[in-house]
Amino acid sequence: MTEADDNPLESYVRAALSLQGYAFDDAQIAEIVLQFSRLEAIAKTLSEWPLPFAAEAAPVFRP
Amino acid sequence: MIGSAAEIALQIGSGVRSAASVLAATQSLIQARNPALNCFTATTFERAQREAAAIDELRSKGRPLPPLAGVPYAVKNLFDVEGMTTLAGAKINAANAPAIADATIVARMSRAGAVLLGALNMEELAYGFLTENHHYGTTRNPRDPERGAGGSSGGSAAAVGAGMLPITLGSDTSGSIRVPASLCGVFGLKPTYGRLSRGGTYPFVNSLDHVGPFANDVLGLALAYDAMQGPDPRDPACAQRAIEPTVAALALTGGIRIGILGGWFNEWADPAARRAVQSAAAALGATQWTELKSAEVARAAAYVITAAEGGALHRPRLRTQYEEFGPSSRARLAAGSLIPASWVVQAQRVRRHAYREALDLFGRFDLLIAAAAPAVAPRIGQETLLINGRSIPTKAGLGVLTQPISCIGLPVCTVPVWPGEGDTAAERALPVGVQLIGAPWREDLCLAAARTLEQAGIAQIRLR
Repeated sequence: MTEADDNPLESYVRAALSLQGYAFDDAQIAEIVLQFSRLEAIAKTLSEWPLPFAAEAAPVFRP
Repeated sequence: MIGSAAEIALQIGSGVRSAASVLAATQSLIQARNPALNCFTATTFERAQREAAAIDELRSKGRPLPPLAGVPYAVKNLFDVEGMTTLAGAKINAANAPAIADATIVARMSRAGAVLLGALNMEELAYGFLTENHHYGTTRNPRDPERGAGGSSGGSAAAVGAGMLPITLGSDTSGSIRVPASLCGVFGLKPTYGRLSRGGTYPFVNSLDHVGPFANDVLGLALAYDAMQGPDPRDPACAQRAIEPTVAALALTGGIRIGILGGWFNEWADPAARRAVQSAAAALGATQWTELKSAEVARAAAYVITAAEGGALHRPRLRTQYEEFGPSSRARLAAGSLIPASWVVQAQRVRRHAYREALDLFGRFDLLIAAAAPAVAPRIGQETLLINGRSIPTKAGLGVLTQPISCIGLPVCTVPVWPGEGDTAAERALPVGVQLIGAPWREDLCLAAARTLEQAGIAQIRLR
């Protein structure tokens, strides 16, 4: 069992980096894990925001 | 000190000065002031001489002069300038081929008679609210060189704030015009999303990128904005709207219903920023407070969309040239490229929701006002901001009040206010910008309110 196995976020980052074709060393991966954890914290506020099921997205935004 | 755009154009039009003499004076100012501030990454003096000579020739032949005849300006180095490599603040772009044509709005400024002096420093790839560029150096604040100019359009704001130029151009994805305008004490306009063409600019986040002007007065902003409007097939997001001139609308006074944004915008404004908003509100006769309840999640949506689109854009080169990106950009961009689709879709749903909430507010108000930055300019290298007892990283925190607004594409004019608030004399001498936020396509109202504040002496540029 590795450290990454105990840390789902790090496991996700390592797997996603591999799938996307990146090849980084451990120090570089640690930097990316830190940044991804910040993104994840921000994204949590979005997922917790109540929106109706049918709420429309704005993929191409034209005011 | 350089005059305003309107003063310069009037002097050249009336023969008091030639465009060549204005250019020579501007070059001297740049040579004297730029070394201490590091605003420029390249100058275009030869091109400027040709453009100034063309204006002087028009006048000598008695031909009508365009509205910005002989007015000097410069552009953030993500705008294409024919014959120059577009850096976007990044070393990875330095070996790219030179641009074969000007960006659309650079070409429109030239057509309006403006004279291009060069390209300006920025945060690498426009990702951040400082201009502490690993490759091209830090741009310093003209009010206090120990402090930052803000970003990502730091060179553009500082060049105007230092009195080198009356007009510059920048871009704003999440606050990159409004934050540096606030920190450097200059006027800035972020138009409605899609209002000005991004054709020929280096992208960052296509669904959030805006372009716009900085100026040393409101009329300068309006003149530049009017000169740059119009549809453009080079930018698919550019609105198919006719030009709606704003210069004549600057005289509009009274009858504008203004709401002061509380909630998130008050919580994340320190005493100086709050004082700036209060001063502007009082001068505009605004007394009603209101709230954009989705501000926090709109900011989060902007953050996620920015990271995802920016990461995806740069992923191919992150894979092969990771070490050539600056240390403060590369890990953030790589992390952004890993974001799951469900986060982005939720961010886009929140974005639509926040937009609708804002439209409801514009049923009651014509303009909303809020601070443009949570505090005065931080010291260079300062890691965190302390806002009302809460600590936030400087690089991300400076945009906390601008991100919710650009996320939903509203037009904003940022004006420099001088609250005189702070623990030290140095802090009390620094400005805070106030955002005048309009409904979509109502740049005219944003600029008219800015003009009212300027005429009341509340919003003004101050040179050291």
